[in-house]
Amino acid sequence: MKKLLQILFVLSIVFPVVFLLLLSLGRRWAYPNILPAEINFENWEFLQKSDSKLFQAFFISLGISLCVSILVTVIGFFVSKTIAFNKFRNVYLILAYVPYLLSPVIMAVIFQYYFIITGLTGTFLGVIIAQFLIAFPFGIIIYLNFWNTKLKSIEELSLTLGGSRWQTFKYVLLPLSKNAIALCFFQVFLISWFEYGLTNLIGTGKIRTLTVSVFNFVIEANIYYAALACCLLVLPPMILLYINKSLMFFVEKSKTLS
Amino acid sequence: MKKISLIFFSAVVALPVCSGLVYASLYSLGIVGVLNSGVTLENWSIVIFGSPFWASIAFSLYVGIISISLSLLFALFIALSWRKALKNGMLSTVIYLPLCFPATVMAFFGFQMLSKSGFLSRLGFSAGIIDNLNSFPALVNDAYGIGIITTSVILVTPFFVILFTNLYQTEKISEYKELAITLGASKLELLHKVTLPILLKKSYATICLFVIFVMGSYEIPLLLGRQSPQMISVATLQKIQRFNLYDIPQGFAMAVLYVLIVVGFLLVLYLKNRNFFQAETHYK
Repeated sequence: MKKLLQILFVLSIVFPVVFLLLLSLGRRWAYPNILPAEINFENWEFLQKSDSKLFQAFFISLGISLCVSILVTVIGFFVSKTIAFNKFRNVYLILAYVPYLLSPVIMAVIFQYYFIITGLTGTFLGVIIAQFLIAFPFGIIIYLNFWNTKLKSIEELSLTLGGSRWQTFKYVLLPLSKNAIALCFFQVFLISWFEYGLTNLIGTGKIRTLTVSVFNFVIEANIYYAALACCLLVLPPMILLYINKSLMFFVEKSKTLS
Repeated sequence: MKKISLIFFSAVVALPVCSGLVYASLYSLGIVGVLNSGVTLENWSIVIFGSPFWASIAFSLYVGIISISLSLLFALFIALSWRKALKNGMLSTVIYLPLCFPATVMAFFGFQMLSKSGFLSRLGFSAGIIDNLNSFPALVNDAYGIGIITTSVILVTPFFVILFTNLYQTEKISEYKELAITLGASKLELLHKVTLPILLKKSYATICLFVIFVMGSYEIPLLLGRQSPQMISVATLQKIQRFNLYDIPQGFAMAVLYVLIVVGFLLVLYLKNRNFFQAETHYK
């Protein structure tokens, strides 16, 4: 009975992927048919056309997510180190939690005006900056779980033994921080990759990422293309899961970083 | 370098929220904005004393609490009953798969499954349970938020399963259980006096944060919710983006009030769970 329940549970987890894949391959899914009348690769042929909207949306999403995650990972590393050993650490941490807790779309509502007057709405750069503003505090929270007194002592030991700041960073801190950096990069990538409300508001619909495309296709009642965009959205996280499942999961106070 | 880091942090984290709040407050008070003609408290009184804002907050809270409660029930059952499979078996990897699904994808999937012309309705028709499309119950765009709650539960449960599985190991619950068994505890006592208190106490702050996350969710209620009652993110954005420009100040007032509620909640959470935010990096 227990085994059967587990098998059913596994099937229920895998089912959404199979369902969306099938729908992305389908055409003419009239009620009450359980499966679409036509199943072929016609919808997927966009992969060969560089002018296809989905093809462009995939690379726009990828570009935005890579820019945001690289910026947050690099800048967050140094800023979080300063905050971690600052006497007002908890104040900064609480401040970091505010944008992290607020719905990104509410954040976008309150700072959209500044994007309008600076001409950043509807631009690639504007979406990157807006996403950076919500992802950066999250990056800080991830890194703050990582910095500890032991690490600080190792860093100081290296400096005491004659290592320069650069050598200490390159040969001591960086190797020890590999896991935290990877976790921050991939978690921020996922936040950016999954983001819809803020991207749509700041991008004013002109920056068509994959998530924006899903909603556009739903509005156009093109469920097959929406399913196809969903498959593309799920693809990079699944590759990440295949590489290292621990990079998919982050919770405050977790022990995965140390 | 240290000063630059702290200034950068303040500029990126605190400044956008504060300046955004200032602009939204000024707009809602009629001080700025094209159609505003002078200082007024009318928009705030409509939001505070009217029912739509509080109905949205209440509905969001209801969805958040029900979704997280159900997720916790399922997650505790799975994490505690299938511990071995989650540690070593195929389940140990498969359980991470739902973390690959963005809310947008889950909202679309939920709609295709639960709507009147969705997959479940088609299965019901084929099995002879329903005789036409309209006989299928309204599970999306419904008054009770069944579609939103179901989709949120599917999205959140795996996270809690992984969290509880990890906590079970890091908190050495099996050792406490062995001790309790030695002292004569029954299976039921082990569950509600050892395992559950440790797991729930350790994850209390995370659970609270998740209620707030679900309350503020946007994509799922946008696709699976209905016009009334609306969840707070959808309601606020609709006020701002409506064709009636006179609704915009109310939208900003709603946004400001929601931010204040969340910040207030965060402060209460901080004061009650200082350990959760406690520095592990005290350094002199």
